Amino acid sequence: MDWRRHFTEAATLIGAAVLCALISNAIAGRERKMLYSGTYPNATNVPVAVTTSTPVLSGAAAPPPPQVVAPPKPSGGEGAAAPPSTTTTTPPKKTEPIVVQAQQFPPHPDKPYIEIAYDAVKQLHDKGALFLDARRTSVYEQGHITGARSFSVWESDIDEKVNKLFEERGDPRQQAEPIVVYCSGGDCEDSHMLAQKLWGIQYNNVYVYKDGFPDWQKKGGPAHTGGAP
Amino acid sequence: MQIALGVFFVAAALPKIADPPSFAHMVYNYRIVPGALINLMALTMPWIELFSGLALILGIWTGTARTLVAAMLVMFIVAISINLARHNVIDCGCFDVTAAGKTPEERLADMHWVILRDTGMLLMCAQLWWAARLNLQPTT
Repeated sequence: MDWRRHFTEAATLIGAAVLCALISNAIAGRERKMLYSGTYPNATNVPVAVTTSTPVLSGAAAPPPPQVVAPPKPSGGEGAAAPPSTTTTTPPKKTEPIVVQAQQFPPHPDKPYIEIAYDAVKQLHDKGALFLDARRTSVYEQGHITGARSFSVWESDIDEKVNKLFEERGDPRQQAEPIVVYCSGGDCEDSHMLAQKLWGIQYNNVYVYKDGFPDWQKKGGPAHTGGAP
Repeated sequence: MQIALGVFFVAAALPKIADPPSFAHMVYNYRIVPGALINLMALTMPWIELFSGLALILGIWTGTARTLVAAMLVMFIVAISINLARHNVIDCGCFDVTAAGKTPEERLADMHWVILRDTGMLLMCAQLWWAARLNLQPTT
């Protein structure tokens, strides 16, 4: 076998493939475009300018920590009897789902997010909290929680969107307001990634709707289709 | 057999080329590729699949294309086996890069099936290599 010829052919095939990949990415639309550099998913990137310009919330800005009732129920128990105004949180390991059934949603600067179920999500929705949809834009357009904005962690403009959000709500008091992020429930991690990203720029009151949009639809929550919130 | 192998790879490449972020999501789910390389891999690998498949179909540089296809098949088999060993149940993202909404049991069954299918395709590569080798040998 002629190894030199073999190697040249392989290099040509791979080179042509890389060239086509670069060209197709250059002409791709916003939803299909990929970033060449940086870690993946994009959600793990924290915009440097934002992080360095923002002091970490502490002292007066930080509200009292949520009341912890441990251990969390293994079955989740959305409708389970619990004392009013209590919050069930996960152990530091963050592997078990957390169910918040509180009337209030105090910030939690010590953890990136708290998982919540439908009742708490609906409460926050009724209060006018900011909702962010971490799924792909095409999926968002097929149906999303009314008022939710599209913040897909898998698309190249996520940093841009997060920076824009920071420009809108950069004040520490605004950063302490509840934000609900969701994706498709089940083993979908997109909302957790987005929550991590928001926490990275000091949003310290982020909630992950653990069962996501399918659960919202199932329970009859208000939904909207199309590109607008 | 060579054309069938090529068609498989072209068919597998097209959905990935059409939606690189979804394929990147699939690659991420394997938890094998370092974060910094996922985008690059999601962008280029489908095109390598496409070019290798087309080369096999058109009969151009078949030896090289066969080697590339075999290398990719070995890579897929190893990647899925690692995730099976870790009990990390994933969608393989071979021909469809959208989340199929399957149950973990269905995904697990799919992973076993994919290993079997890729092994079969690897045997096809071996057979083609063997046939090409016999053709090259002078008759006595």
